[in-house]
Amino acid sequence: MIEVDVAIIGGGPAGLASAMKACEEGVKDILIIERGMELGGILLQCIHDGFGTFIFEETLTGPEYAQRYIDEVKKTGINVKLNTMVLEIDSAKRIIAVNQEDGLLEIEAKAIILSMGCRERTRAQILIPGDRPSGIYTAGVAQRYINIEGVIPGKKVVILGSGDIGMIMARRFTLEGAEVEGVYEVMSNPGGLTRNVVQCVEDYEIPLHLSHTITNIRGRRRVEGVTVAKVDSEMRPIKDTERFVPCDTVILSVGLIPENELSKSADVGMDPITNGPIVDEQMQTSVPGIFACGNVVHVHDLVDDVSKVAEVAGKGAAGYIDGKLKKRRSPIKVRAGRNVKYVVPQIIHGEKFDEDIRFYLRVKEIEKSVKTVVLADGERIFEKKIKIVKPPEMVKLDISPDILNRITGDELIIDVEGEEDEEKP
Amino acid sequence: MKRSHNFTCIVCPMSCQIELIEEDDKILEVRGNGCKRGEEYVTEEFTNPVRMLTTTIPVQEGRIAMLPVRSERPVPKNLLRRCMKELSKVRVKAPVRCGDMIYENILDTGVSIISSRDLSIGNCSEVR
Amino acid sequence: MGGRDQKIVKKLEKKIVKKGFPDVKISADEGIVRLNGRVNLWSEVITIGYLAAKTKGVKGVINDVTAGEIERKGEEKKVTKRGVYENVSLPKRADVVIVGGGVIGCFIARELSRYKLDVVLLEKESDVACEATKANSGVVHSGIGESSGTLKQKLNVKGNKMCDKVCEELNVPFERDGLLIVITTETLPPKVRKVLPSFISNFICEKIIPYVIFRKGKKAGIPLRPVKREELLEMEPNITDKAIVGVYSPTYGVVYPYEITIALAENAIQNGVKIALNTEVEDILVEDGKVKGVLTDRGTIEAEYVINAAGIFADEVAEMAGAREFSIHPRKGSIIIFDKDMKGYINHSLSELILPQDPHTKGGGIFTTVDGNPNWGPDAIEVSDKYDKSVTAEEIDTIFECGSLLPDFQKSSLITYFAGLRAATYEEDFFIKASENVLGFVNVAGIQSPGLASSPAIAEMVRGILREIGLKMREKEEFNPIRRAIPKFSNLSIEEKKKLIKENPLYGNVICRCEHVTEGEVVDAIHRPLPATTVDAVKRRVRTGMGRCQGGFCGPKVARILARELNIPLEEVTKDGPGSNLFVGKTKSLLAEEA
Repeated sequence: MIEVDVAIIGGGPAGLASAMKACEEGVKDILIIERGMELGGILLQCIHDGFGTFIFEETLTGPEYAQRYIDEVKKTGINVKLNTMVLEIDSAKRIIAVNQEDGLLEIEAKAIILSMGCRERTRAQILIPGDRPSGIYTAGVAQRYINIEGVIPGKKVVILGSGDIGMIMARRFTLEGAEVEGVYEVMSNPGGLTRNVVQCVEDYEIPLHLSHTITNIRGRRRVEGVTVAKVDSEMRPIKDTERFVPCDTVILSVGLIPENELSKSADVGMDPITNGPIVDEQMQTSVPGIFACGNVVHVHDLVDDVSKVAEVAGKGAAGYIDGKLKKRRSPIKVRAGRNVKYVVPQIIHGEKFDEDIRFYLRVKEIEKSVKTVVLADGERIFEKKIKIVKPPEMVKLDISPDILNRITGDELIIDVEGEEDEEKP
Repeated sequence: MKRSHNFTCIVCPMSCQIELIEEDDKILEVRGNGCKRGEEYVTEEFTNPVRMLTTTIPVQEGRIAMLPVRSERPVPKNLLRRCMKELSKVRVKAPVRCGDMIYENILDTGVSIISSRDLSIGNCSEVR
Repeated sequence: MGGRDQKIVKKLEKKIVKKGFPDVKISADEGIVRLNGRVNLWSEVITIGYLAAKTKGVKGVINDVTAGEIERKGEEKKVTKRGVYENVSLPKRADVVIVGGGVIGCFIARELSRYKLDVVLLEKESDVACEATKANSGVVHSGIGESSGTLKQKLNVKGNKMCDKVCEELNVPFERDGLLIVITTETLPPKVRKVLPSFISNFICEKIIPYVIFRKGKKAGIPLRPVKREELLEMEPNITDKAIVGVYSPTYGVVYPYEITIALAENAIQNGVKIALNTEVEDILVEDGKVKGVLTDRGTIEAEYVINAAGIFADEVAEMAGAREFSIHPRKGSIIIFDKDMKGYINHSLSELILPQDPHTKGGGIFTTVDGNPNWGPDAIEVSDKYDKSVTAEEIDTIFECGSLLPDFQKSSLITYFAGLRAATYEEDFFIKASENVLGFVNVAGIQSPGLASSPAIAEMVRGILREIGLKMREKEEFNPIRRAIPKFSNLSIEEKKKLIKENPLYGNVICRCEHVTEGEVVDAIHRPLPATTVDAVKRRVRTGMGRCQGGFCGPKVARILARELNIPLEEVTKDGPGSNLFVGKTKSLLAEEA
């Protein structure tokens, strides 16, 4: 049995930043357990730039962003176990992991930080009918093949889903000499950032078909083509708009889901909307001493936000093991209100707050000229005007202690109010 | 002859649809922008659109098969595909350090291609 | 045409004309009816076939009627590349050639490996178990679903009893989880429910139907037990309120159908059988009414005995020999499989009884794999294309209805769906016979559900037929029925895991996040007696890619291990054999092509 102060599950951006923060806060014995052969996580295959504008105030590629943290971690005494798969975590903070060198590892940690990231939704989860030939990949897998393994999955590509990775892969395939026939998006708006619409799709004159989906995949051994169709307002395919598109590859960018097996095995409370653990303002889960941060909690659009929130978890874990972390009293539930899909953290604790809390909101629909409003016991304790909110772009609200300390009751509601709502007295 | 060009602004989440009107490459008018930054953006996109080039280079004896690289600075947008062609012949050997120069002054742009990570010696068929 | 044949033709002509197909030509020879002509729809082809099969005196139906409007025509691009898939050199001669490496072909191969015989099994795909065998629920039926007096029922009841021993010898898991036939408020057809007073329909459901089923089982030697509502709810707490009573069939079980087939193939190879993968039969050589050999795309094998276990292609293989007495019309069944998170939500296999029953299928049900993944289905759709294994949107909706027994089941835990093709004949029974016209040719055809449960008994029966038609069989003393399984890391205790990693550190490298499969297991699968040479072949052996991420995490790793162990470039790795490459080349190769 190995004993450590803080065990961090996953050495991607969340794990790295939380480890650094815990170390800064004086935790001595930190162990990062990483299943890959090196630290950095998914960043290593995200070779495009655009990372780090908030944290480093410059634009970096994914590997460079990771490298900065890896270099820092190397300077500390943080222990790292690579090529190590965690099989199980229990609520007593015991970890079973395995690798080739040590065999089976039994680890007992004073605190655990869950930072396993997320995985991609698959073809079956969105119920695309048809054959099951070779040539169907999720965008992240295709990205790994091209950027890490050095093989290219196809020559003529149809992409379903205009999430950021889908669009980034449209550009990547094109630059590598493949033909991207089009990007199809079932929603009436692009699923990713406008910057990616412009620089990954429009720059290369790749058609972006909004309100479209794939209704069939055809191919015996390898993909031979797909049927695409326009969808109606309820996202049902319209039969007579169906069209067969010959291609050899289908790339799916149809959503990410937090990796939640280990969170479940640790028996932490889960949020059915985010599919990740319920966390408080310290990023602590319902099991004392188990923290979570990054895409394992909910899927972020910017790695900078992941790093920032990971620091909160790292600090929380440090506070937990030296007993400084405030006792958990009077939990206040944070509820998603009008046009809000979810809010993280879902719970805040404490009688007295002395630091800002950043709330992350995902909205349900695009809306212009809105106000985000925080209501406590019916009272509007906070308001902020925002020019536009969109589902692909997370809304961040920093709320100061003097506002937080005015909260009465045991529930906060966060609303996004449209223009009409404003008229109300 | 007067011509009009349409842009989607990417400076902020508003995604303004901006129209730029020019005559013989001289900008006459910019409209549809919600703020000053929008005008700057489309002016730049019209006169000298540039993009960062990021790609990969095959590595010999590396622990992974491909080395991610980028241009040190953005390069003219219309040269991206030619840069890719040029780089498709390049091979490097591990070890490589983050920031190492991989290809100097690509297509006489004055921009070099640099490594964007450390890559040590290893065998990529060890599946780890 | 003899007088009996003429009678059949006349009778059938009348029936077919009455149905509105005057252009169909009918002939008969010794009770085997041959149908030719053209109609509009595939469903009409099927109707005509059944009409013929139900005509008195008909022993077999060869239905060559074509349909004008075929939704989907099967075509197979010839891929000649072989390389790593050519696992053995093709022998020049053999005592017995088996055509087809499904569960039936492999079971027969293993059965014959008990004797001093040179046996060769030919399989056109790059692995065994690639067609119907891999795409079914894995249910070992009890026989209660089959009509009394059929060969199906007889072999099913017998085969079911043989499964425990075989699975133990082969080291494959077999769970007898039992089936609950559930009688609900929707069991009786709506028309009947409407006219009958409710106390009568209740009486029928509670007493008469369970009794009828019970009697049928008793007659066939199938143990059954009626289950009252309270007990039913205890056995299956999540079941719908519509459930009235049940009948429990304890001998029902589940296996992984591909796993047992691979194990049979491995054990057969261990005992001397040659299994040639990626080898397609092009002709059966017959001289003077006797089998002389088999022509394949890799050369000829001389043999006097040929067993046709070619599944949905069995009619085509029989035709090559001139021994066709049946038609295979593919009937697609699609299945939806769910996350093993849902393990424990159901405790037994469940099947809702809906009257009247479809005469050609037992209907879908709710089953659980050995590892606890619930799976729903299959449905039953007649298709014209022997390569059509697509799952349509309509099918997905239909199968979701199977789940009405479990109203609160979390459907979002769906992992994937797949389809297989049942090798149905118009007679709807197994067709296991030595050909009377071609000596040495044995048809083992029309094997659809309950083919898996019947397979041990079918193999025994085929052995008997071979002996009857003159094959000399002497037992081999060195026959070893035991096959070693690949150690399954995720099922081991902590101590066992530690020990295994110590022996072979590759078992410490977990490459599949969902199913906790290790590199050691994958490497083992690649170097078995029947080597796994494709991503899917590895998947069928060790479960990589069968979990919720569907290979997102392990896919690149499995591809790399295959490339390394088979000593081929990564870009030559395939999903399931030639033509199914995962990649088109190295990164940068397309840019070089452009130049």
